[in-house]
Amino acid sequence: MPVDQRRINGPEVTIPYNIYFDSNAKQTETRKTLPKKRTDGRDSTELRKIFVKTGIVSQAKGSAYIEMGKTKVVCSVFDPREIPNKTGYSLQGELFCEFKFSPFSCLKRKIHQQDSEEKEYSIILQRALESAVCRHEFPNFQVDVYALVLDNGGSSLAAAIMASSLALSDASVPMFGLVTAVTAGIYQDRFYLDLTEEEEVICSKAPDESTSSRNYGIVIQANLPQHGQISEFFHVGSMDLANMKPTVEAITTACKELCPVMQQCLVKSVLKALKRKENMEKEDQ
Amino acid sequence: MLEGDQDQEEDQGGLRNDGRRAAELRKIRVRMGVFGQADGSAYLEQGNTKILVAVYGPHQPRGSAARAGGKNVGGIINCQYSTAVFSFSAGERKRRPRGDRKSIEKSLQLRRAMESIIQLDLYPRSQIDVFVEVLQIDGSEYCVAVNAATLALIDAGIPIKDYAIGCTASLIDSTSKNDEDSSHAAGVVDATYMEECSPGATLSIIALPGSSNDATKGLVVVAQGAGQRLHLSRLEALRNRALCGCRDIRNILDRAVRQHLTVHSQPSFSTLHVID
Amino acid sequence: MADIPLSLAEKTFILHGVDANFRNDGRIRNEYRAMELETKLMPQTNGSARIRLGNTDVLVGVKVEVDTPFPDNPFEGKLEFFVDCSANATPAFEGKGGDSLATEISNTLALAYQSPHAINLKTLSILPHQQCWKIYVDILILQCGGNLFDAVSIAVKAALYSTEIPKVTAATLDGGKPDIQLSDDPYDCIKLDAKNFPVLVTLCKIGDNCVVDPSSEEETCSSASIVLSTLPDGRFTSVVKMGHGSLQPTTLIKTLEIGKLVGIKLNASVMESLKKEDALGTNRPIFGFLR
Repeated sequence: MPVDQRRINGPEVTIPYNIYFDSNAKQTETRKTLPKKRTDGRDSTELRKIFVKTGIVSQAKGSAYIEMGKTKVVCSVFDPREIPNKTGYSLQGELFCEFKFSPFSCLKRKIHQQDSEEKEYSIILQRALESAVCRHEFPNFQVDVYALVLDNGGSSLAAAIMASSLALSDASVPMFGLVTAVTAGIYQDRFYLDLTEEEEVICSKAPDESTSSRNYGIVIQANLPQHGQISEFFHVGSMDLANMKPTVEAITTACKELCPVMQQCLVKSVLKALKRKENMEKEDQ
Repeated sequence: MLEGDQDQEEDQGGLRNDGRRAAELRKIRVRMGVFGQADGSAYLEQGNTKILVAVYGPHQPRGSAARAGGKNVGGIINCQYSTAVFSFSAGERKRRPRGDRKSIEKSLQLRRAMESIIQLDLYPRSQIDVFVEVLQIDGSEYCVAVNAATLALIDAGIPIKDYAIGCTASLIDSTSKNDEDSSHAAGVVDATYMEECSPGATLSIIALPGSSNDATKGLVVVAQGAGQRLHLSRLEALRNRALCGCRDIRNILDRAVRQHLTVHSQPSFSTLHVID
Repeated sequence: MADIPLSLAEKTFILHGVDANFRNDGRIRNEYRAMELETKLMPQTNGSARIRLGNTDVLVGVKVEVDTPFPDNPFEGKLEFFVDCSANATPAFEGKGGDSLATEISNTLALAYQSPHAINLKTLSILPHQQCWKIYVDILILQCGGNLFDAVSIAVKAALYSTEIPKVTAATLDGGKPDIQLSDDPYDCIKLDAKNFPVLVTLCKIGDNCVVDPSSEEETCSSASIVLSTLPDGRFTSVVKMGHGSLQPTTLIKTLEIGKLVGIKLNASVMESLKKEDALGTNRPIFGFLR
């Protein structure tokens, strides 16, 4: 792993002080109550309030901003360019995706270089978008997608996937349809959609051996709701098939519900562009 | 430590730590055609040094080698020497399989050795890839790599002028004066890792033992020592010892190749009795 | 991965074969090719295994080292996967060419093994907060003939099964510094509990059906595949989609159902053959690459 020499990275080994807190006390509390109610009072299949806006980065060809509860993600898409370091001709265009947590977005400070988690998320982001983009329309070219998490309040990868698909359509990249994504957590036979950061931590740790059910885990699923297809599926944790089925179904319905929100946002940006054009024409006359 | 070694040597009646005599090689085991997908491949074991080599080509030049040899009309040989991270005998683990200075240097030396034997004029504007993978290291690994690469080239059916054979000769202790008459004075061949680490110098020679009797053509010499100098008067004896080892290895490998060909050749060939 | 150029007619032929449940090498849809598995073939490692699955050839070496535990997991040891795609497999892997595939495989393995249901890292702790074992699992890909993920995971499971960690006879804190003594007897070792190690099952979607253990020709015909890691009791520790295609929710569920059954069977048969090999004793001949 090459170390970035140009920036001051701080002392090599630092430990965030939070690990010395008695975090167990608070977490076991939420762990116990989680099966009954969620910390923010939502229903298990209820999504957080969502806000989307396109065209917020002036330098980019297309961009989008998404807010889901505390989670805030900015995504920008740049013009197609030739694939660097490539000798052969590729029939299908490529998507280059970079997912990054900003240094201040998480509890622990993130360094400027991508860590392994962010690299993994970049690959997931790429796979989620790839099947939605008409890559045969721009052969031998590459479209760059950058997703930056400003504030991580949980489900930031799902938010990044949605923002990226909006940004791609804002950049007029030909696509088969919009991509929506939802994160779900499973903890002891119950699943919860659209996790907060706290719930993400709980769902990614195995429950005690003494409990009746040992299921836990996180599922990230990206859909093409207009086609009823799953473009990306990612699960980590430990769960059996019986719990997987209802989770997939619930995410699929939730993904369908999210689609109109994104469509409205795109309609709004098109109307705005039309109005601007009208105004310009008037001025010309 | 040093004294102890010498005592041991006397105790062992001139035998080395692993029971070999000074000019004795380790057990050589060969398998050609290990991989189905490569054009040629070979696996070679010399004692505990184990190496796999795959040869691809000749094919159209591509990659960095093509760009580097853009004006080159002759054939291009592309070598990569990489070492498996778990190859060291001791508990230690290598950080990177390739890309460090030593591996790059060995790739270059391997290319020189291969260029000296392949009949490159038969392959204008084409590229031959030789990929070496070291699975276990116990001394002489560069020489074993050259031997294995030669076998892989033969397996790929690429015409070569002669076997390129590598062999090391190591002076266990170049500073001691009293063992002028012992058999170890001229160096020990096919050094193990322990012998290479001893305070003396190690000479690696890549020779073409078949082409002429004095075997000085296409000679590639690599000397390495544990910070020790080698007295010029001892160089000649050391060189002869290594060349002697090269000839022995050549005979063994030649027999292995012929045997491989009788077993695996087409039925029509085996009836011809090409092999004596 | 090694790209095999196939014409449209060849692809259609493979597709029709999968439809008729009779693949072009004579297998049915959920049938594996014959595997050759050998463990403990490298004396310089703590554990090793080599697998040949069709043309796929993978060598795994395991080494253990003493390390300090992560501050946020002071009671646990460490497990690290490193994949090296050797240029022996295909010239495309030369230099840094195989790196993206290597990270993909090592990430997938790390996901499969991250659950405490798969491997209990607490057993690798020597002194909490101070010292722990770090297991390096180094995977060398020598040839790829399709289905790399399954082959690698089986080889990793076998190598970890054969891994022997030196026994710690005394571990004390001496003036705030850890002091560890290992057993003098090199045969006095502890083995890892391989009971729950997962295997990866790749289900390759070709046409409307899923096949297991795809050959490289079949891999080029498919646009999406699901790699799932299954524990011996049929639970999933990770599910990852590969490829650029998309699939329907019902197909996904169907795939997971097939994967669960295949995974249970595969786990059982791998364990069975490992035990059989163990029963041969320490004096069995080692073939390595000479066969």
